[in-house]
Amino acid sequence: MNDDYLWDKTGQPDPEIQQLEEILGSLRYQPKPLALPRRRNYLPLLAIAASLLLAILAGGIWLRVRSRHEAPPQQARVEAPATPAPEPDVMPVLPEKKSAVNQPLQASNRIYRRRSESSVVDREEALMAKEQLMLALRVTTQKLLLVRTKTQPNQIKNQHRIG
Amino acid sequence: MNVNIKTALIACLLTLAPVVTAKAQDSRLQMSSLDHLAAKANQTVDVNIDERLMHIAAKVLDDKDEDEREVKKLVNGLKGIYVKSFEFETEGQYAPGDLETIRTQLRGPGWTRLVNVTSKKDGMLEVYLLFNGETVGGLAVLHTDDKELTVVNIVGPVDLDKLAKLEGQMGVPDLGIEPQKKSKNDDEK
Repeated sequence: MNDDYLWDKTGQPDPEIQQLEEILGSLRYQPKPLALPRRRNYLPLLAIAASLLLAILAGGIWLRVRSRHEAPPQQARVEAPATPAPEPDVMPVLPEKKSAVNQPLQASNRIYRRRSESSVVDREEALMAKEQLMLALRVTTQKLLLVRTKTQPNQIKNQHRIG
Repeated sequence: MNVNIKTALIACLLTLAPVVTAKAQDSRLQMSSLDHLAAKANQTVDVNIDERLMHIAAKVLDDKDEDEREVKKLVNGLKGIYVKSFEFETEGQYAPGDLETIRTQLRGPGWTRLVNVTSKKDGMLEVYLLFNGETVGGLAVLHTDDKELTVVNIVGPVDLDKLAKLEGQMGVPDLGIEPQKKSKNDDEK
């Protein structure tokens, strides 16, 4: 038997081989362009997500700046600085030996004094703001009153008569 | 790729839109162009109360005091009150053009001139309101006289009824702006 057919498809083919070729022919390689699966485009989603993130970030920064600008809650205790004042007199004067026990107490006193001082400053600022506000409203109402007297002079005169 | 750029642009616009809108609806007037008049003025009132100061001031307003309670109600929600008032000893200390920058701003979208009164005695009085849809978002009052120039700017939702209630308080005589019902109640009290 000549095996050339199996080697280079020359010579007499074997019917059995031919039959096998026919059966397996459908599975033969057929050249066609490579179809890669299409990649999903995430760019629009990414852009939206980035925009939202940016907005949230901007909002966060804005809130933080705003809360920083807002004054701490007002404390009505104006007499607060008087309370820690006697501390140096009451405490024993020991310049060389700094008591380790007293150090936290002194620190807390210092913080308390600072807080009470800041509350006084805050209150002063609030009173000044109030004064400014009242002045502004006074000017505003004066002007609006002038407008009203100009636009409705008769009505105002009549109301005065009734009153 | 063009579609992607478009989408990104739309997303950016959507993000920036509220910011732009908020800016457009801001009723704060820039009044720094009047600052040079302070040197010529006999008396100057310059009040700048922003939202923070308004909150601080509101905290010390006494609820037990009727006047201050009314003021507290009025300023609640306001974002600022700005006043510039100049009183001069002689006439002609300011030029009509000094107010032009303010008027230009008041010609912007949203602003409506409600009142415009001109008289020889009291000069020119103008009241402007900024409308954000149906709500009032700001108020501006311009008063020019021979010897006086005043600009008032209230930023935020101004309640005109509450503002009217303040007449008769804070040294301003009550000329009966309030509705009839309320004035009757006050009389009964």
